[in-house]
Amino acid sequence: MNAAAPAAVMQPGHAPRPQAHYGSPCDNDLLASLPADELAPLLGALEHTRLRLGDMLYEPGEQMRHAYFPSTAVVSLHYVTANGATVQTTGVGHEGMVGIALFMGGDSTCSSAVVHTGGHGWRLDRQLLLKEFNRGGALQQALLRYTQALITQVVQTAACYRHHSVEQQLSGWLLGTLDRTAPAELVMTQELLGSLLGVRRESITQAAGRLQALGHISYRRGHITVLNPAGLRCVACECYGVVRREMLRLAPRRQEPA
Amino acid sequence: MSAAANPLSGPDPSQAHRAVADPLANALLAALPRAEWLRWQPHLEAVDLPLGRVLHESGARLSHVYFPTTAIVSLLYVMEDGASAEIAVVGKEGIVGVALFMGGDTTPSRAVVQSGGQGFRLRSAMLKEEFGRSGPAMRLLLLYTQALITQMAQTAVCNRHHTLDQQLCRWLLLSLDRLEGPELVMTQELIANMLGVRREGVTEAALRLQADGLIRYSRGRINVLSRAGLEARSCECYAVVKQEYERLLPPSLGD
Repeated sequence: MNAAAPAAVMQPGHAPRPQAHYGSPCDNDLLASLPADELAPLLGALEHTRLRLGDMLYEPGEQMRHAYFPSTAVVSLHYVTANGATVQTTGVGHEGMVGIALFMGGDSTCSSAVVHTGGHGWRLDRQLLLKEFNRGGALQQALLRYTQALITQVVQTAACYRHHSVEQQLSGWLLGTLDRTAPAELVMTQELLGSLLGVRRESITQAAGRLQALGHISYRRGHITVLNPAGLRCVACECYGVVRREMLRLAPRRQEPA
Repeated sequence: MSAAANPLSGPDPSQAHRAVADPLANALLAALPRAEWLRWQPHLEAVDLPLGRVLHESGARLSHVYFPTTAIVSLLYVMEDGASAEIAVVGKEGIVGVALFMGGDTTPSRAVVQSGGQGFRLRSAMLKEEFGRSGPAMRLLLLYTQALITQMAQTAVCNRHHTLDQQLCRWLLLSLDRLEGPELVMTQELIANMLGVRREGVTEAALRLQADGLIRYSRGRINVLSRAGLEARSCECYAVVKQEYERLLPPSLGD
């Protein structure tokens, strides 16, 4: 998450890297944590990918071909029940990667991965990922620790869905998304929010209305602007903080500039 | 993983008759290739896991990992206000303490025995060393972890979308798969803690299942009378998790 990286602009000390308006692979925290000798073989193979709102990176049961390392995009790992209801179990942004089943060994999962905040990311062919993972170096360690943080997020989500209100969950969700995106404005319809949190659109409307009345957000035509993150933190349940602390505890350190 | 099915790769398959305290009753241990098994075996310590025993608290460093054989362990998340919710169950198919090899050392969940029995434990340092070899044991443990993540995620989905009756059926089926017989020793209070609902809610749901002839409940014992009935009443979450466990793991959960 953002707080782990004090500087918004990365100046990693790595050898030549692609310079473009969409940034570099080191905008992803996991990649930025790799020592130069582990990053070097990946740089040529990491492929820039534009991740558009609604893009599905993989579907349930589908053999994954790539791992995705988001930089500015945020991806939702999403479950669909037999009767079509949906719910997000975790979000993945620049702190993580999409496709843990590749190195965990399952190759596919029961979830799907959908982009919920459009932006950029980098993808890596599965064979190359596996080869590097199996070397047992910094990449393996970073990915396993990240997966542990992801588990915390799934666990917390399960508990949160049981015990907390939609208003609390929406506040936590907005804060979690804000941590992964630069601007305070999110492009997000109530339908999409409802499907991510697994509740009816009306419940989102009510919860968003209350947060707006409190002056914490403004909501207009599919754009949510967070006006007062501190206020949202007061409304959010403990789950946001628990996940954030665990993400920060397990996050790899970025390589310092040479 | 088909290591368990391959008699040449695993521990001595002639031990068809398993004593109660047999580490091979745990499917992960049984699936270890012979070299790993020979290294691990002297370090495996048989432990009684009585109902209610806490194996690790949230946030505590893990001194051991546990391989249940006849016991079932519940991974619970405990909220700041003390409310709890079960996130996953671990029985003879698995291991308690994945945070250790994933690199976190501690985990935000509590592990508590939900059905008394036995298991084996291994010191954390030993497990870390074995995992660090990046060999078959690592791959087995990672596959198990992926299956566990599926169970956790499905619990989240289930908590959001399904009725208490469906969840109770799911929970009973998950437990049944990890037990020898059709009887669970379990108070409604414990079930309520596991499912994170009020005791009255569980009582009502259990009475409905009993009225329909699916279970018999008396004095802390639940007898499952109709497994098929429970499966029909459960949401899809049970089947999704079971299929994923079967896909990823050595056989252990039976039919």
